[in-house]
Amino acid sequence: MAEQLERIANLLALLLQTTRPLTLEQISDELAGQYSAEATTRRAQFERDKRVLRDEGIPIETTVLVGEHAGATGYRVDRARFELADLALTDEEKRALQLAAATVRLDPTAAGRALTKLATDDTDPGPLLAALPQAAALAPLCAANAAHHEVGFTYRGKERRLQPWGVVMRQGFWYVVGHDVGAGEQRVYRVDRIESAVDVDAGHTFEVPDGFDAMAAVTVDPKVLGEGEPAEALVLIDAVLAGKVRREVGDGAVVEARPGGAVVVRVPCTNRAAFRSWVIGLLDHAEVLAPDEVRADLVGWLEAVAAP
Amino acid sequence: MSAARRGPESVGVRLQRLLLVLPWLMERGSTPVSEVAERFGLTDDQVVRDITLASLCGLPPYVDEMLDVVVDEGMVWVGVPRIFTRPLALTAREGTALLVAVRAALALPGADPAGPLARAADKLAAALGRPALDVELDRPPMLGAVEQAVRDHERLAVTYYSASRDALTARTIEPLAVFADRGNWYVTADDDRSGQERHFRVDRLHECRPTGEHFTPRPVDPVIERGWFADGPSTEVVLWVTGEGRWVVETYPVVSVEADGDGLRVRLPVASERWLARLLLRLGPRARVLEPATLAGVGREAAVLVLTRYRAGAATSE
Repeated sequence: MAEQLERIANLLALLLQTTRPLTLEQISDELAGQYSAEATTRRAQFERDKRVLRDEGIPIETTVLVGEHAGATGYRVDRARFELADLALTDEEKRALQLAAATVRLDPTAAGRALTKLATDDTDPGPLLAALPQAAALAPLCAANAAHHEVGFTYRGKERRLQPWGVVMRQGFWYVVGHDVGAGEQRVYRVDRIESAVDVDAGHTFEVPDGFDAMAAVTVDPKVLGEGEPAEALVLIDAVLAGKVRREVGDGAVVEARPGGAVVVRVPCTNRAAFRSWVIGLLDHAEVLAPDEVRADLVGWLEAVAAP
Repeated sequence: MSAARRGPESVGVRLQRLLLVLPWLMERGSTPVSEVAERFGLTDDQVVRDITLASLCGLPPYVDEMLDVVVDEGMVWVGVPRIFTRPLALTAREGTALLVAVRAALALPGADPAGPLARAADKLAAALGRPALDVELDRPPMLGAVEQAVRDHERLAVTYYSASRDALTARTIEPLAVFADRGNWYVTADDDRSGQERHFRVDRLHECRPTGEHFTPRPVDPVIERGWFADGPSTEVVLWVTGEGRWVVETYPVVSVEADGDGLRVRLPVASERWLARLLLRLGPRARVLEPATLAGVGREAAVLVLTRYRAGAATSE
């Protein structure tokens, strides 16, 4: 494989230096002996090399030539399209970036490569203070958001098309919020629950509404997310967990304080699965009082697990 | 950076590395091979092989543009840089990884909203096309008091809800460091109750009272590694989950995941039976315990326990 790498490095050097687009024949002449003399093999080798370069973010531009080689395809690489623009970072700012990446961990390999490209020096990192959840879909969603390109992905087994207006992390989870083209309304999706690769569609662009606040648009409580009618349940919480739950749902949600410290709270259950997960986390310190249908749903779920 | 790779590497990976290493070398002039190897997570042999290849690049009529790179006596020498001088643009993954780290660091207490990091963040965001990307790190109410105690080396009297024991306990802790992991804040502390270093979730502190007593702090290692749990030592459990139960893999640290029939075989550390019971109840019919056999009945027992309460009929409180 060293041969192919050497050939690609030379190809890149050549296409970077040339002032006019070169035909494959000219390229082959310049890189004497590195491409096959046989036309079909040579074309296949060149297409393979082009693909490697494109996959690494170096697109080869093609133009149909006029004049001497009229009609032939010419190739060159535009330096400006793949080289890192100078961010004009001061040494102090580079150090701050280095420190931030050492303090917060998301995708250390990628962040490390980014820092190398930005020519930061290794400094003594401080202690790691925060780890954030990783999700493969995060990078393409952010890129699509910046470029205002529509995206497509599979979520809960359904194909979705979304204009990604914003990406946020709240309470330890990544969300993408935007206009769902299929549903014709604003939707929020958990990024880690996206089941497919994110397809970025540069052919469809969009505008984000003025003043749109992605953080405000992402509802924190998964129990209220969902596609059904908003609904609420009454849950009795034992004294041992009353304090914890009270802080979580807020004093306004407490509808009854019983002697001995137990409380009854009103909580959203629009998303039945999220509600069930929340109540189950409290084990036998909580009991759904109403509505009957929600209580029956939970009992049915538990009975399925309890069945021998 | 990542450890040295084993086995054959793709051309793309090596090309990308070459285009990362060369501009870096050009910034520095001569550099020991071992330092290059360490910086990029390579073996010395890999460095020499890649650099030797780079030294062959450049061809007539571009002889002037030949790369002037020499490896000699354990040093890499770079002459007049002509091509491959600038690194590749940041990929979406690289740019996002760095920008998220920076935004999160700016959300941490003590960050200067007008300092060098904020200025760097602005330049980086501009280069990435200014994505609408926000990171919120919620601060539980007790966090300020805990941070103050870490700074002052002051013992705290706390009441803590232990999820693994499912009970409230009173203890005195010597808080050593705070950190956040996947949306939750923890304090690493020496705990008088267990006599050991423990990691407590700050949002599970019911009460938190400075005692006025001070202690001599000791250094602590950062603990945010996949596989650690807040509530003490753990054992490993192997679960079989259906596709619908796949969220387990995305939500908790797992040791390994393999496809198994129409589901997944997931090995993960489990801090306590109570924790496992909760997980199994949430998964419901979408999971079962494969190993160890002694824990196979944990989900069923927990379901029976909770059902007992519902079958008692009228809601009563303890």
